[in-house]
Amino acid sequence: MPFADDGRDPLERYSRQMRFGPLGEEGQRRLRSSRVTICGCGALGTVLANHLVRAGVGFVRVVDRDFIETHNLQRQILFDEEDVASNLPKAEAAARKLRAINSEVVVEAVVADIDHTNILELVSDVDLILDGTDNFETRYLINDAAVKLGKPWIFGGVIGSEGQTMTIRPGLTPCLRCVIETSPPPGMTPTCETAGVLGPAVAVVASFEAVEAIKLLAGKLEALNTELIMIDVWDWAFRRLKIAALKDRVDCPTCKHRTFEWLDGKQGSHTTTLCGRNAVQVAAPRGHRLDFAELAARLSGAGEVRHNAFMLRFAADGYEFTVFPDGRAIIKGTNDVAKARTLYAQYVGN
Amino acid sequence: MPTVQIPTPLRPHAGGLDVVEAEGATVGAVLEAVVSKHPALRERLFEGGELRRFVNVYVNNEDIRFLEDLETPVGERDEISIIPAIAGG
Repeated sequence: MPFADDGRDPLERYSRQMRFGPLGEEGQRRLRSSRVTICGCGALGTVLANHLVRAGVGFVRVVDRDFIETHNLQRQILFDEEDVASNLPKAEAAARKLRAINSEVVVEAVVADIDHTNILELVSDVDLILDGTDNFETRYLINDAAVKLGKPWIFGGVIGSEGQTMTIRPGLTPCLRCVIETSPPPGMTPTCETAGVLGPAVAVVASFEAVEAIKLLAGKLEALNTELIMIDVWDWAFRRLKIAALKDRVDCPTCKHRTFEWLDGKQGSHTTTLCGRNAVQVAAPRGHRLDFAELAARLSGAGEVRHNAFMLRFAADGYEFTVFPDGRAIIKGTNDVAKARTLYAQYVGN
Repeated sequence: MPTVQIPTPLRPHAGGLDVVEAEGATVGAVLEAVVSKHPALRERLFEGGELRRFVNVYVNNEDIRFLEDLETPVGERDEISIIPAIAGG
């Protein structure tokens, strides 16, 4: 029976949290009437969603483009082996777990690649955007949307044993682009694949993000972080880099000049190398949904094909393709974007 | 001598060190001394004489962009940090 129907005070389940003085009952009530979008439901996103649903944030939307694989389980805390066997999308599997954890919270699963065509729709009806992504392309896109809408968002990133986070309130703090003007080009920076990643490192960074979210949603604005936090769980390092003074002192194209290059689709490719997976995503939006039965029939001569309502998977030439109804594909077995485009054209067709 | 904190991704190009000591009166001079000792770092930090746009440098936890950039004076006990943008998650 849903908790709210058993005749007890619906706030009772949050009693230990409300007893924490700086939050209190008033803060808890604010959390219950708050709405968030979590962009990405991998390592950071699952920890974020877990914390916020347990804490009683009223509405949680989780957006992710991906499916669960066995090597995710080391750090993506909402998933288990059954989810891998069921070929569930991450957003859907996460939503099922989250609803079981707290049936009071409205959890919305969106299986989609966040891009400039859909981001405003995904974030315009929430109070806060949370970063659970694994790449700067999507983060700059989130930053554009957040600045344009004047909506707060919380950035987090992790590799190996270290991570960083900052809380961005457009107009009040520097934005992501003020602080990190541009991301390193491919090959100049490690990925989860080359450097690995520790589950606890992700959990620590996502937990810092979650605390900031709770403060922000509960209206405890004076307690918010105004610095770029750097954490290394292996070296016991914790640093607070002073960035508040960057606001207005940087000639920021995004928050000073209000040019939104990612949101306008001028920046950002339609292919993405996926962190840590020897895989490339090819996004080829088309006006209609793919007919999997037809595609499977076409591909059956080329390799092994199977499909369900959410995806079609087939292997050929040492590559594994996961194709989604909207025409997007993840091609495993290469990091080469051009090769992936060619494979997509060869097997799926443009 | 001022110290320079080397972030994990760059340590393989700095003989595995996490901290490098180097002489210099400004951030630019200290970093130049560091890349002279560890030439593999040069192209990762500099393009021409300028810091690469994705390289963020802090002195005692303050961004040099709102100090005096590479001309920021440093003393014996100052700590310079190269802060990478961390992509994963």
